[in-house]
Amino acid sequence: MKIKKKLPLLLVVSFLCILIINCTNNDSEPNEQNQAYQSTYQPKPSESILILNARVLTGVGTELENTSILMENNKIAAVGEITVDTDVKVIDAGGKWITPGIIDIHSHMGVYPAPGLRSNSDGNEATSPVTPHVWAEHSVWTHDPQFTLALKGGITTFHVLPGSANLIGGRGVTLKNVRSVTVQGMKFPDAPYTLKMACGENPKRVYGNRNQEPSTQMANVAGYRQAWIDAQNYMKKAEDSRDDRKRDLAMETLSGVLKGEILIQNHCYRGEEMAVMLDIAKEFNYKITAFHHAIEAYKVADLLADQGVCAAMWADWWGFKHEAFDMVWSNVAMVDQAENKTGCAIVHSDSAVGTQHLNQEAAKARAAGIRAGMSISKARAIQWITLNPAKALGISERVGSLEVGKMADLVIWDGDPFSVFSKAEKVFIDGHLKFDAESEVSFERTDFDLGIIDPEESRL
Amino acid sequence: MKNFSIITIVFLFFLASGVKALEPEKILIQNATVITASDSQVLEKTDLLIESGFIADIGSNLVAVDAIQIDASNKIITPGLIAPHSQLGLMEIQLERETRDDSTKNYSAGFSIVNAFNPSSTLIPYNRSGGITSAIVVPSSAKKIFSGMASAFKLDGELGSDNISKDIAMAISIGAGSDSRASQILMLEDTFNKAIRYYDSKDQYLPLADFNYDDHTVRDLEAILKVLSKDIPLIVRSNRATDLLRIITVAKQYDINIIFHGAKEAWRIADILAEEDIPVILDPMDNIPSSFDSIAARMDNAYLLNKAGVKILITSQNTHNSYLSRQGAGNAVAHGLPENEALKALTANVAEVFGFSELGTIEVGKIADLVIWDGNPLEVSSFATTVIIDGKQVSPISRSNRLRDRYMKKLGLQ
Repeated sequence: MKIKKKLPLLLVVSFLCILIINCTNNDSEPNEQNQAYQSTYQPKPSESILILNARVLTGVGTELENTSILMENNKIAAVGEITVDTDVKVIDAGGKWITPGIIDIHSHMGVYPAPGLRSNSDGNEATSPVTPHVWAEHSVWTHDPQFTLALKGGITTFHVLPGSANLIGGRGVTLKNVRSVTVQGMKFPDAPYTLKMACGENPKRVYGNRNQEPSTQMANVAGYRQAWIDAQNYMKKAEDSRDDRKRDLAMETLSGVLKGEILIQNHCYRGEEMAVMLDIAKEFNYKITAFHHAIEAYKVADLLADQGVCAAMWADWWGFKHEAFDMVWSNVAMVDQAENKTGCAIVHSDSAVGTQHLNQEAAKARAAGIRAGMSISKARAIQWITLNPAKALGISERVGSLEVGKMADLVIWDGDPFSVFSKAEKVFIDGHLKFDAESEVSFERTDFDLGIIDPEESRL
Repeated sequence: MKNFSIITIVFLFFLASGVKALEPEKILIQNATVITASDSQVLEKTDLLIESGFIADIGSNLVAVDAIQIDASNKIITPGLIAPHSQLGLMEIQLERETRDDSTKNYSAGFSIVNAFNPSSTLIPYNRSGGITSAIVVPSSAKKIFSGMASAFKLDGELGSDNISKDIAMAISIGAGSDSRASQILMLEDTFNKAIRYYDSKDQYLPLADFNYDDHTVRDLEAILKVLSKDIPLIVRSNRATDLLRIITVAKQYDINIIFHGAKEAWRIADILAEEDIPVILDPMDNIPSSFDSIAARMDNAYLLNKAGVKILITSQNTHNSYLSRQGAGNAVAHGLPENEALKALTANVAEVFGFSELGTIEVGKIADLVIWDGNPLEVSSFATTVIIDGKQVSPISRSNRLRDRYMKKLGLQ
């Protein structure tokens, strides 16, 4: 494939997108009209980089040998056999593997940073079971050293959620793994907002222990339904008498869900609970984008596939709660293969350790599927940590696969990413080298890491 | 899948036959790659004969017509993995207090968990099928700094099975908490001193049956005397490099043996740990600076310690997934630890540090606790195909397999 300089067109297209979004959002909330809280992340123009001779897991279900990738102006400019006539920086990746940048759809980095201190445990507003008015991004400590550890593991995008103490915990935020003092400078441009909901034991334990509602599963469900009834009433009222409308942060979020603008990310372990949550979504006519933790997703994998709901899962965590008791190692594979392979399976971490090795979690999940007799290629399994989480975050037009025009977020691995012995060697975000195992030049530490062990040294 | 149903039948038969253990089998494993975890390291295309629960012979072209034959071509055999620090057998569900027996408010240093170990725990089949054949089981009480006494168990799941060894170490933890670490170390010294005074005046006080020496029962003080007489080591959970140094000073002062656990900053004092011959139980993947005690945590802790000559024991921090110590070992290799050293950190080193001379390596005369793997045992995609404990093949089935098979069928995936 010969490279054509497509960049000006791309720029025009993305500019149009921004205009369109602004045009269609006329009746949206005030903060969206005046751009408050929006992403300020804008990568500097990147130099042209040509990576040669790699084995590429594209993220669209293919594995390509001896393949080259050209990154230009922050985007993937070409994938395949590439000849270039202009001067570009060349990286020989012979014997190495390339994957799209890894995306972790379930992270509490920033809101539960390291070191864990009372003063920075900002992930659960556990003072009331329904708190759709809070936004996780307003809790993010941007100097969390876990961010750079994740970067070394190939994480280029991650989704930060409020915790699961509440039935409705607040808005989540999708961040690029770039260093910025401001959280706005990390926000994935124009990523849809998400809303964290939680099934099961956590809300009823937190509030039940205080002799407060909910203390049972049935009160959990009543709590969700009441919140959506309130949201429906709010929307109706807004239609009737627009001028009298008082702003209500909680209702703005809930109505955003009912309008289809905010994506539901639903912490939920059990099969029967997922089925009930799907009925609540039916009752109030909204969509659940993904169930998270979904230990029992395999029990309802057909239902999830039929309704187009993703399940984000661990490879093997279990037993910490009763609702996490029925773990099967092939959960991810079974969700993936259900209903003629139409399932949407995601491997997530929920852990600052796990996020550094999400490729290994996918490898374990794939191996368990193969042991169970399913045939799952690496090309497909890599989607569990790239394209599928991108879809569930509403950003798959821009990241999640190595396709021309997408953001140049990619990882060069020193070996097969499905092996425990392989490590991310180079991590690019928007065409910029952010981590290089062989050089510290491009690696930007968090503020926390400076002088913290030895005043004259950096941590790691 | 056919194999599984045959195994299931065998398993059901096993259940139906009651609690009586099957007699050790005679087993011939042929054509395996054997990682011995001993000086002979790796043997290619090798046969292993197992008889009466022990490794009877290792060589090529071994013949035993009356033995169960297992073809292990393209497979790898290692010693059974020994979990060096877990609550296996003491816990079903972490957040459900009544399913846990790993802590008490009534005892401190002398809390022995041996009577609580449940060989039928659901965690055991999961971990056994992940290659763990025995476990050092450590209580997690936190009465002041003391957790209690560790014991070692086989994971054969047999009701009558006894512990391998009872009360083989004492566990304490020192570090950040509501009380100053200085106070914690003073308390350790004071407790040692009390135990010594108790010993000196034993004849005088013992007849009083309910004698308690401050907040320590006789049982607690007797246990501490075992540490002070070097009968058993003291496992000290601690992370900060300076804490490790202070504890080494106390250990020298009282002339006791210690093992560090956690030890996220141990690499900073690797040479001293090597010099003092202090083993370290660690999770190589735990590189999070999760508190101000572990700011210097890093991924190559295991590699740096081993390089300096420290004996390392690799653990998983999650009892339910104790077998994931393999993944930790694999990651340590990715960060520089030699493969054979990683394997020893899961087997031979654990046996050696806790004094089980018949376990931990594949050598003639050793107890036949073995795992046959379908690939490199340190690789995350590999899994145990056969697990042998005391010369007997143990069931590879866990609830996980049963649930999987039920729902594979329901989903039409099988």
